[in-house]
Amino acid sequence: MKIVRILVASIACCGWLLGAAAEAPAQAVVKVGNILPLSGPSASVGLQNKQAQDMAVQEINDAGGIKSLGGAKIQMLYADSESKPEKGVAEAERFINTEKVHILTGAWNSAVSYPVSAVAERYQIPFLVPVSVADKITEQGFKYVFRIAAKDSWWTRDQFAFLKDLQAEFNAKVATLAFVYENGDWGKGFAEGWKKHAQAGGYKVVLDEPYPSTATDLSPVVQKIKRANPDVLLLTSNAADAILLTNTMAEYKVKPKAIVASGGGHADPSYLKAAGKNARYLFDIVEWETDVNKPGAKETNEKFKKLYGYNLTGESVDAYAAMYVLADALERAASTDPRAIRDALAKTRLTKGPAMIVGYDAIEFDESGQNKHAALVMVQVNDLGKGLERITVWPKASRRAGYKPVFPIP
Amino acid sequence: MIHLLEDTINGVLMGSIYGLAALGLTLIFGVLKVINFAHGSLLMVGMYAAYWAVLLTGVHPYLALVFVLPLMFAFGYLLQAVVIQPIFKAEREVREPITVIIVTTGVWYILDNLALLVFGPQYRNIQDNPLRGRMIEAGEMLISVPKLWGFCAAVATAALIWLFLQKTRMGRAVRATSLDRDAASLQGINPYKIYNIAFGLGTAVAGVAGVALVPFYNIFPTVGVLFDIKCFIIVVLGGLGSIGGALLGGMIIGVIESVGPQFMTATWTEAIVYGLFLGFLFLRPSGLFGVKYDW
Repeated sequence: MKIVRILVASIACCGWLLGAAAEAPAQAVVKVGNILPLSGPSASVGLQNKQAQDMAVQEINDAGGIKSLGGAKIQMLYADSESKPEKGVAEAERFINTEKVHILTGAWNSAVSYPVSAVAERYQIPFLVPVSVADKITEQGFKYVFRIAAKDSWWTRDQFAFLKDLQAEFNAKVATLAFVYENGDWGKGFAEGWKKHAQAGGYKVVLDEPYPSTATDLSPVVQKIKRANPDVLLLTSNAADAILLTNTMAEYKVKPKAIVASGGGHADPSYLKAAGKNARYLFDIVEWETDVNKPGAKETNEKFKKLYGYNLTGESVDAYAAMYVLADALERAASTDPRAIRDALAKTRLTKGPAMIVGYDAIEFDESGQNKHAALVMVQVNDLGKGLERITVWPKASRRAGYKPVFPIP
Repeated sequence: MIHLLEDTINGVLMGSIYGLAALGLTLIFGVLKVINFAHGSLLMVGMYAAYWAVLLTGVHPYLALVFVLPLMFAFGYLLQAVVIQPIFKAEREVREPITVIIVTTGVWYILDNLALLVFGPQYRNIQDNPLRGRMIEAGEMLISVPKLWGFCAAVATAALIWLFLQKTRMGRAVRATSLDRDAASLQGINPYKIYNIAFGLGTAVAGVAGVALVPFYNIFPTVGVLFDIKCFIIVVLGGLGSIGGALLGGMIIGVIESVGPQFMTATWTEAIVYGLFLGFLFLRPSGLFGVKYDW
């Protein structure tokens, strides 16, 4: 019996030594804990996020990893949040306590990122958020949360910035606005932003019309737009109503100088097909568009498309860029200590490299951890002889080469 | 003033199409005494049938009726004969069999999800058809041509159904069954056959509504749900089982929806429509033309 015990002990001992030996090179790995919705309602976008990050990490590791850490590789660990806040929090705790990750990223759903940011703050692990857009995530006074994407409230800010630039470019005056939006949380949130910016910009609001997205007839709303006769019409619509509005407006020959939409239904792939030529000249705001005039954007998109079969979206671009932001911070931190990584992230000022396929010029975090340069892009729907397409027009630096926006609508 | 007239006309036209959509529901209820929850889905099937007929043959949307009508009648007839009838027979003793209602709910889900599976979630419409986007300009007023066609189709359909019920032998048999199932079968009428015919007719009428909507509306798998709720309100408003009531109820809803937004936001007109619905349930549950107790 005794011999057996000694044997077992010595084997265990050997195992422990072996384990330790195996762990030694593992020092050269940066562990990144990723919380994403990989099943449930947001699974498809969660997967796109993962794929974009995987592609970036593969590129970074193939290029020799983190040089200041002796070529350390980035190791991605994934957990499925199922879009559930409580699941996200549990996975964050597991990542930090069991997996001993050096940094957390994710979680796509704002509802998950919000509580996870509190966990990260408590354990002092930096939490790099590519796309959850709810304003409050970076407005808690936390030191360990960093966000790449533009905040929710910046969408309306940029719509009005675009309007201002448009007037300057065409030396035209926009005096009156009409707000037409679906009457859910999303539309109402946009309308609140619009009202604030319209007041600040000195515009006159001639129509403020929430409508039910399930409406079967939108001609009454279109009649109201026609009678209010605004210079510019701002829209927030889901897909079915976006199509119905566009077609009904064409029937009633409603032609404001410009129509500015807010993504959502207007960005739905079936919108252009179903609205057809009636959608021509519409402006729509998005995070990113494949034709954005930035070096490397086209090549990166092509690589992604070849790997996974579809185009990059604004969200996957943010996820892709986030990995380069992380690599840059690790390079400067020259340490895997989460506190050192946090300090390096806070001092980020990224102006070149693959991350710069985003529609703006730099990634830099403000005190709250929000990327202060994040901006959205404005596209115009037009037909340049190859059917209707979405053409990036704003900011001017990202505009498709050689394209001049059409304003006012002819 | 001219605006008010323009909105009222649009309301009547759009409302008559709602009425047309509700016509099939009221017809099926009148005979089977069963609320058909799958009615919106039948409308959806009708819309897809019309869509594909027009897209593949390139005919005028209303010519697609030649194809849509028999197809929808057969679809409804078989749906009743194969899926619903066995439940009816099992609940023979009950006058208003609840389980049939549950079965129609099941049919609704199955049809909507089948459409999602087969046609995908895209929003479709027919870009090039002779009615699309056409407007009549009368002075300052604009009147939609496809809606005007829909109005004519609604009135014609209602008239034809009324004539069928009043003047033909089969129509009398349908009315007899609807009045008293047992007495009718004592006269030698096979009630199950009448049910099949009524269901087929109701489905065919949903097909007509589909044809009327296709020239100007979007087609997608859950489109029926949007019209379903409206149909129920219309049928309660007009009186369950009443043909003219469905048409008038539809027009009332249409006018509220069209004129209302000029005085308030479009969100509120929806509240008014539901308020009216509740009001009718409280004060006059038989609707405008329904019989007070039974018929």
